[in-house]
Amino acid sequence: MNLSKRIAYSAFALSFAVLTSCEEKKGAASETKSGYSRSETLYLAGSQWGDPNTFNPLVEPWLVAWPANDRFNIMYEPLTAYNSLTGATEPILGTLVSYDPEKVVVDIQPEAKWSDGTPVTSSDVKFIYELGKRFPQAPTSYVGEFVSGIKVDTVDGIERISFMVNKKERNNPLAILDQLQAIRIVPAHIFEKYLAENNNDFAAVKKIKCDKDPVVSGPYTLAQYNNERIVLVRRDDYWGNNVLHGGALPVPKYIIHPIYKNNDHFAINLQKGALDASMNYIPRVNEKKKDGVSTWYDAPPYFVPGSMHFLYLNNTKAPLSDRKFRRAMAAAIDYADINRLALSSYTPEMKPGLIMSDGLEKKYYNAEEVNKHSVPLGNKEYAKKLLAEAGYKAEFDDKGNLKYTIGPKGDTLPTLFIKSPSGWSDWEAIVNLVVKHLRSVGIDVREGFVDGSQYWPALPSGQFDMIMRKPPVAVTASLPWNRFNAVMSSRNWRPVGDGNSMNENEGRYNGPKSPGYNKRVDNLLDIIPVLSNEDSLKAAYTELNNIFLDDQPIIPICHLPEEYYQFSTKAWTGWPSEKNPYAPPQLPWVGSGINTLWRLQPVK
Amino acid sequence: MLKKYPTFRYILLRAIWYFLTFLVALGLNFFLPRLGSDPVDIMMAQSSFSSPEIRKQAEENLRKDFGLIIVDKQGDIVRDADGNAVKASKVSQLFTYIGQVFQGDLGTSFKNQKPVSEIIVQALPWTVALQFPAILFGWIFGNGLGALAAYRRGVFDKLIFPLALLMSSVPFFVFGMVLVYFFGIVWDFFPAVGAYSLELTPGLSLDFILSVAYHYILPFFSIFLILAGGQAIGMRSMGIYELGTDYIKYAKWLGLKETRVLAYLFRNAMLPQLTGLALSIGQMVGGALITEMIFSYPGLGMAMLTAIQTNDYPVIQGVTLLITTSVLLANFTVDILIALLDPRVKQGLSMDAK
Repeated sequence: MNLSKRIAYSAFALSFAVLTSCEEKKGAASETKSGYSRSETLYLAGSQWGDPNTFNPLVEPWLVAWPANDRFNIMYEPLTAYNSLTGATEPILGTLVSYDPEKVVVDIQPEAKWSDGTPVTSSDVKFIYELGKRFPQAPTSYVGEFVSGIKVDTVDGIERISFMVNKKERNNPLAILDQLQAIRIVPAHIFEKYLAENNNDFAAVKKIKCDKDPVVSGPYTLAQYNNERIVLVRRDDYWGNNVLHGGALPVPKYIIHPIYKNNDHFAINLQKGALDASMNYIPRVNEKKKDGVSTWYDAPPYFVPGSMHFLYLNNTKAPLSDRKFRRAMAAAIDYADINRLALSSYTPEMKPGLIMSDGLEKKYYNAEEVNKHSVPLGNKEYAKKLLAEAGYKAEFDDKGNLKYTIGPKGDTLPTLFIKSPSGWSDWEAIVNLVVKHLRSVGIDVREGFVDGSQYWPALPSGQFDMIMRKPPVAVTASLPWNRFNAVMSSRNWRPVGDGNSMNENEGRYNGPKSPGYNKRVDNLLDIIPVLSNEDSLKAAYTELNNIFLDDQPIIPICHLPEEYYQFSTKAWTGWPSEKNPYAPPQLPWVGSGINTLWRLQPVK
Repeated sequence: MLKKYPTFRYILLRAIWYFLTFLVALGLNFFLPRLGSDPVDIMMAQSSFSSPEIRKQAEENLRKDFGLIIVDKQGDIVRDADGNAVKASKVSQLFTYIGQVFQGDLGTSFKNQKPVSEIIVQALPWTVALQFPAILFGWIFGNGLGALAAYRRGVFDKLIFPLALLMSSVPFFVFGMVLVYFFGIVWDFFPAVGAYSLELTPGLSLDFILSVAYHYILPFFSIFLILAGGQAIGMRSMGIYELGTDYIKYAKWLGLKETRVLAYLFRNAMLPQLTGLALSIGQMVGGALITEMIFSYPGLGMAMLTAIQTNDYPVIQGVTLLITTSVLLANFTVDILIALLDPRVKQGLSMDAK
């Protein structure tokens, strides 16, 4: 045999051997079972990207791994949970007693216990709420702006906590109501011990990973983790089973969060039944129904809208500083086109303004006033008329493509760019369409897709013409106030530039030192949280919404769900949905969505 | 003195050149990530500090932890007249970095606060275990096929050549997705995602090893077949070219045995392919990224991507250092191999020496 033949044959033989040996292994793997059995394990995904790092709840939330981060309440629990379906504040470690402009009052559940048997007390609550006073770099340090003090009384043997509203600073009891859900209580006796061991060096305590037998109060605790998955195990001695759930245990014994590296894997695994629920954007989810993937509604919009995605505009830069120009933009965009082509019909018909016309916000929505103040949406002729009236002219070439825009002073306007993170496919599709719509009426706009490392710093410093943005506004008790605040507040107003960070109103609308400063906006934002009369609340919201519509500081693009709640019925049934709305459309790890854990049934 | 040992002299010269290249690459690895946005800015933008003062303090703490601002002997931040923290100069950071590298310390990730060496040690075995066999077997298989096609021609070549051409012109992420779609979803032969079944606990159990093997198949073939296609094309054209050269004609005319002629042919046609192999192995880590994303496979590529997105300098530097070193080492090895294998190079060396 010659050399080349020999090599070719051996290569053939080798790959054949590899192939066949693997084929045999396939059969073996599917026959044997060990580890976490499927009928006891719930697979949830979408909240952990990249390697899990620490489970220490005192570390900055964006560095902490699921479920010790953010608002997840299956390991560490907050005082209360907000039900985004009913608007009710439901009890967890505490029960909401009252809420008024002076104070927010909560009773501690007397039966609540940590996993080491220590009872959960007011000292645990005080520890985390007042941590910012001791360590300004603590993630909960913002609480001080809202809560001026915490009073503890004992009523009938139950500890009653009063969060006193900080009148001098934020004066915002509404935000305290949000914090009851957002701030999870951590075991003070454990962390005080860590602090003492480290001479009160907070940075040293943050280095503790809290990943071995953590002391928690919730129904699940960390079993093990690596870079591919995080495994939680049920705590059968969870105090809340008796107090909150009539003595029943949560049904899944284990919860596994697989860590995917690719958005497509959520859809693939839901379809294959390897994942039970996910919160990630999956295009055309209705086509996956045949594979057992379901959503809250069976028909469009499939999801319950909860958050608005915006196109933020730099209000300090010409021509975006021109109110008429911004209004023309709002009119020119074809929202129905975006919903159909970019969003798989996940958004209900767009209504102008910052108040949703359905759900819990409906009571503040005044259709008549909205129609009076808003530009007609998706009306190109109207947009062109507005632009012409304001003195803008557009030059088109023979084929009808926009060449450039001429401003009211006769100058050619610079091309404006819409910044958006590259790779966020739904936003990319939106931006492409917005560019098309705006150019067709004569506004010179282009896509500006940038890497995440450029997108994130551009936001707070205001270094953009336009930027896609979903403010970190959760569906909580303070909606729609917190949405207005995120868009219009000049409380921390700073000019555009490095080192001048704003975490709300990044478009720099309504600068306090600018000539057209409208003090009423900040007034209304201050008043609304302390209003308790529904009529005056509606009047204040209407006035604020009217100002928004008149000035159009930014452009709402779509109303999407807070999280894309989609579930598979291949391994578990009994998920909440429109037909069985016992829990809100959330994965069973946040807010009152966790009630789902006690209602699921394994498919036998 | 070295003139008597031309090969040794050659290796020594090469080594010096490679070391210089390494130093330049080290500097580039250091400066290039720093051209982009500031990692602290990226982190702060995703934070939710509402008060500007607290925000500023948190920002300074991060910069201090990352060694991006100067601290005095007591560990306090050095401030300028306006009360702003003084930033550490890039050059001083570079020297600190080089010093650490030569002590084997790759630093600590900004994002994870994990030692970079730990990140690499966790991820590298997966990358190597997937990429190395796929590249090596793909290379052997592809070259075998190419040589056979060149020598046999006829029907065999007419079948192999278009197939190999097709495989080599498909981008390997497309091919990976096609494999996932058909074998993972439509026909459901193989798992589409992951490196092992998540219900198993990683360890030396039989179930786990079987599960890893089962999950290995699709990612392996997504690399193997594409690489084999490219190699087959290269080997085939090299083989055909060599078949037409004078020395082969002369050898045939001399009446040498066929195997002997083929051995000459193969040895000469192999040389460029060998360089290709070295490059593929050197670029293993970078090339792993797409495979890892398509299959959610563990490995270094993803660590690298996340680090770039957050400008996590120490991780970027650590991984690029690894890539640099492996590319340079692979090339160095090939340089030596070629000097030993190729009589023309050897001859040239001794001529130079004279």
